[in-house]
This record gives sequence, C-alpha cells and structure tokens, in this order.
Amino acid sequence: MKVIENNEKTKIHLKINGNVYEYETEPRRLLVHVLRELGFTGVHVGCDTSNCGACTVIMNGKSVKSCTVLAVEADGSEILTVEGLAKDGKLHPIQEAFWEKHALQCGYCTPGMIMEAYWLLNENPNPTETEIREGISGNLCRCTGYQNIVEAIKSASQKLRINQTPYQHQ
Amino acid sequence: MYPPKFGYVFPDNLNEALEFLEKHDDSKALAGGHSLIPMLKLRIIRPSYLVDIRKLNELHYLKKEGDEYAIGALSTHYEISKANIPLLSETASKIGDPQVRNMGTIGGSASHLDPSADYPAALIAMDAKVKIVGKNGERTEDFSAYDKDMFSPDLNQGELLKEIRVNDFSSYKFSYQKLEKRAGDFAIVGVAVLLKMEGEEAKDVRIGLTAVNTKAVRAYDAENILKDKINEKTIEEASNLVLKYANPSSDIRGSAEYKKKVTKIMTKRAIIEAIRR
Repeated sequence: MKVIENNEKTKIHLKINGNVYEYETEPRRLLVHVLRELGFTGVHVGCDTSNCGACTVIMNGKSVKSCTVLAVEADGSEILTVEGLAKDGKLHPIQEAFWEKHALQCGYCTPGMIMEAYWLLNENPNPTETEIREGISGNLCRCTGYQNIVEAIKSASQKLRINQTPYQHQ
Repeated sequence: MYPPKFGYVFPDNLNEALEFLEKHDDSKALAGGHSLIPMLKLRIIRPSYLVDIRKLNELHYLKKEGDEYAIGALSTHYEISKANIPLLSETASKIGDPQVRNMGTIGGSASHLDPSADYPAALIAMDAKVKIVGKNGERTEDFSAYDKDMFSPDLNQGELLKEIRVNDFSSYKFSYQKLEKRAGDFAIVGVAVLLKMEGEEAKDVRIGLTAVNTKAVRAYDAENILKDKINEKTIEEASNLVLKYANPSSDIRGSAEYKKKVTKIMTKRAIIEAIRR
C-alpha cells in the first residue's frame, strides 16, 4: 500500500500520444492541468463543474473529461489528445472533415469535440444524426450551433468507412 | 475548480482499503470520481485522504448467477448500459453524458445518493439488494432500507458498497422515462416501470419514482390499480395515483407544482411505452 500525505508530491507516469512522461504532482492536482503543463495546451478548461467537455481526452480507450480525473489517479494510463491525431502532418479524417464542413469558429471546444467524435465513431462507425447529437451531448459549443459539427462527424464516418484499411494512430 | 489538499492512498487489495478507511474517520473512497471530484473542486468536502479503489478487481465484475445479476460496485454506467439487464441497462444509458458514463460507477452513484439520480428509480422498482463489506465481513440490505435519505446511505465509516443484486426481469416489459432540460442533465422527474403481462393482463406491476422526493419511492397504489385490469382508464387512474408518492421541491429544474404534473405525464408515458414493447 502506498500512502501520499497531503503536503507530499509523488511521481507519476503518463503515456501521452505514444510517449511516456514523468511528472511530480500533489494528489489534489487535476489531470487537465498536468496535461497542459506538459505542453498539451490543446486540452482546454471551459467550466468548473464537469459539463462542457472542452477537456475531453481518450484515457485507456475511453473518452473522459480530464478536469474530473486526478493526475495521481491517471498514473500509468495511456492518453490520446488532439495533438496525437495527425500523423506526420497528415490530418486525421475527423480533423479533415471539421475543416471541410466549417465545424469550428473560435476553436476552443474543437479539441475536446474532436476527441469525443473519435470515441463515438470508434463505438458506432455509422451513427444516425440523433446518435451523433446524443454522442456529443457532453461537449458544449458556443459558436457553431452544432449543425456543422454534426455534418462533419457524418462526413468523417463516411471517410473512415471508405478507407478499406482502418486509420491507425501511433 | 481547485480541490483542497488531501492525502492519497493506493491500497493493494480490498482489505487494505477497508482497514485504512476504518482507521481514518474522514477518509473517502474514490471510484469513478464523478461526484466526489466535482465536490472537491467546489470545496464542499474536505476529506483527510482519498482511498483509490478503482483498480480493485474484487469490486469490478458483472455476472449472472441463476436468475439474479450480481453487479460489482465498480461496474461503470457504460458497462451496465451494454449488459442487457432489463430496465437497469436502459436506466444506465440515460445517466449524464458519454464521458460521465465512461467513468461513473453504480457503487459510487448508490453511495452518493443524489435524490435526482437515475438508478434509484429502477433499483427500488426491482427490489434490489445491496451487499456491504467491512473489515468484519459482509451484510446484505434491501436497497429501499439502505437508501436512508438524500446523500445518506446506510454505510458506516470503514464499509464499502460491494455489490448490487437484482433479479432477472427478462419476462417483464419495462421503460425508464427521464424528463430533462437538456441531454446530460440530472432528471427533473424519472419514472421506472416494470410490467409482467399475461395476455392483456398485468400480473405484476412495479413503479419507481426518482427526483420527486428526498429518496426514490415505489408508487404502490398506482401499481395495484393496474394489476389484472390494465386499460386506458386504469392507466389514467394510476398516473393520478402516483402523485400521492411525489413530494417534489421547487428548484432550478422547475416548481413543485410543475414537477407533480410532469410526474403524472412521465408515468403515463412509461406505462404505455412498456406495454408497447
């Protein structure tokens, strides 16, 4: 059993977008802040009550709001952020579709929205409009009115299905 | 946004976790963290230690034993929503949003006991049992007795909810109707219905209500009026009778009067949808 006192720091390891990072943290620090301090500033903070989803990342294969995970709790996990989607500068089909369908304006919700779309299309490769809207209901956007985000996710789902070989990251 | 300072414990097994929790009065177990961490971020609670039980496999399982489901406390809403458990899986699929369901657990939800939570409507309708584990062994309680009041489970310091047991209601028709302002919200009103039909007659009826009392309740009189004579008239009567069991409070989600009216409407919808299935 490992006990960390409240004024103590502990060393954690996170595998982010394929690379392992070591970090010293207090138990009370949130994963979202640690990710941003490690340079992944595409992960955003849009609220303090776990509603907005701007901090969404994939942790061990599941989409999670990194503002509602402690960094110590995430020790040893594998995390994918939006920075890890493009491969050698080539956009992931979801990123491409957001561009083509004009699915972003200020861009603040976009990284979280794209990561949630990534999880959704993994779960359900051919979602209906209703399923897309339900699937991104944990991600708020103030600019777009969602319509073009839904179009982009539809378009991305087609792109991903047309690709005979599924897109691989990392 | 910023939690207060606390210590953190990684126990190697369930016994270590229970022992630590018992010895440290204001320590709290951390499961999915989707009620605990938001409370820490608002500094509503100031525990001395968090005991990380997330990786304890002793609490993470979901299996069918005879005609019962044994659901380990660490089963996530996502896992339960995919498990095809009559009524309970549908209820789990309506909790929060996808990210919340990926982390939140049934044990955490049932230990937190928000009066607007979704599971309790189903659990009370299903006569669920809870298995509680402490250093000195296990005990089993009815969910209805375990749910003492809002945010007040029948748990002593050093005890954890280990398992939820429900019967297999696969011979029943069911529906969980949740009224919410927007997808991802807590319920304004939630009604869970189970119906055992024989031809045109309902032989067993169970109606659970959430968000309209300090804890989930069964609407027994409404159930009784539907038994053996389920038709348009009795459905109307039953929907009126649930109001006997609804004592909502006025808050940001609506006035008490409005909530009573929609409790009636959601009950009607739940019964009709269950019959149609």
